[in-house]
Amino acid sequence: MIEIRPAVPEEAPYLTKWLTDPAILRWFPMTDAREIDDAVKIWLGYSKFQSCFTAYVDGVAVGMSTLYLQPYKKFSHQCLFAIIVDEKYRNQGVGKALLERMMEAAKNQFKIEILHLEVYEGNPAIRLYERMGFKEFGRQPKFIKMGDEYLDKIMMQKDLTHGRT
Amino acid sequence: MDLPGFDIRYTYVTDISYLRQWIQSPGMLKWFPMTEEKEVEDALQCWIGFSRWSCSITATVNHIPCGIGTLFLMPYKKVAHHCLFKLIVDPHQQKKGIGTAMIKNLKHLAKTYFHLEMISTEVFEGNSIIPLLKKNGFDEIFRQEKFVKTDEGYKARIFLETKL
Repeated sequence: MIEIRPAVPEEAPYLTKWLTDPAILRWFPMTDAREIDDAVKIWLGYSKFQSCFTAYVDGVAVGMSTLYLQPYKKFSHQCLFAIIVDEKYRNQGVGKALLERMMEAAKNQFKIEILHLEVYEGNPAIRLYERMGFKEFGRQPKFIKMGDEYLDKIMMQKDLTHGRT
Repeated sequence: MDLPGFDIRYTYVTDISYLRQWIQSPGMLKWFPMTEEKEVEDALQCWIGFSRWSCSITATVNHIPCGIGTLFLMPYKKVAHHCLFKLIVDPHQQKKGIGTAMIKNLKHLAKTYFHLEMISTEVFEGNSIIPLLKKNGFDEIFRQEKFVKTDEGYKARIFLETKL
């Protein structure tokens, strides 16, 4: 049973733990503990707006998502989001549940028309985003550099004003 | 550059007063994300804050600022090989080659001092800086429709990049 709750700052250690897993960190721009700490602070900073969510399975935190609400009025109709799921709980519907709850809040609570995301090429989560109705609209080549390896950043979005979320 | 008295130096924090004046001149704000005073002030503090890393340059004519260009260096190692930049030229000093001179100097600064591999910028559709950027080696990489929403309707965000 997956339960989605509003996230609270006290859940930061979960996010830090997941991001510290090298297999997960590969798909994020951070590299070391200081960068992870900064990113976690920014991520959970949005909890004061109730735009962060945590997924629980049997009382255990297993994933999070957040809407990075735009600080400018001209942009407030669209929003970037991030999502993370504990490696051990992949392919069990956690990502889908988080996305559904977040899209519902984006549309009804925050009046967001367009939801968008950034993901690096090769990330298996792309399939989930496609299934949830997100479409690629752009790609920034060589966005990530890890040693001699480069990864493109793929940008996808979904219009929440069309049909059901 | 034939403009008499023209020079380029590193940006001082005190140049924010010129930045504020240019941004608030008629018609300028429509090309920036900000709408109201608080948004402008927050954005300008962030912008001028980069000057402490010596990644921002100011164009001057007879020692008076007429343009500011800034590299928004990335905070994470994996993405530190590229960055976005912002550029503004005093509306009274446009069409004199200042923008071109600033772009050339920003590219040089990015490549030789910060060892960046590419720099990019984001503009709203219809911005007259787009032809200038293309003339100076920038290519459109992608566009995001309906990124901006105002009383006049929606505008796309256009992302342009050049390899160094």
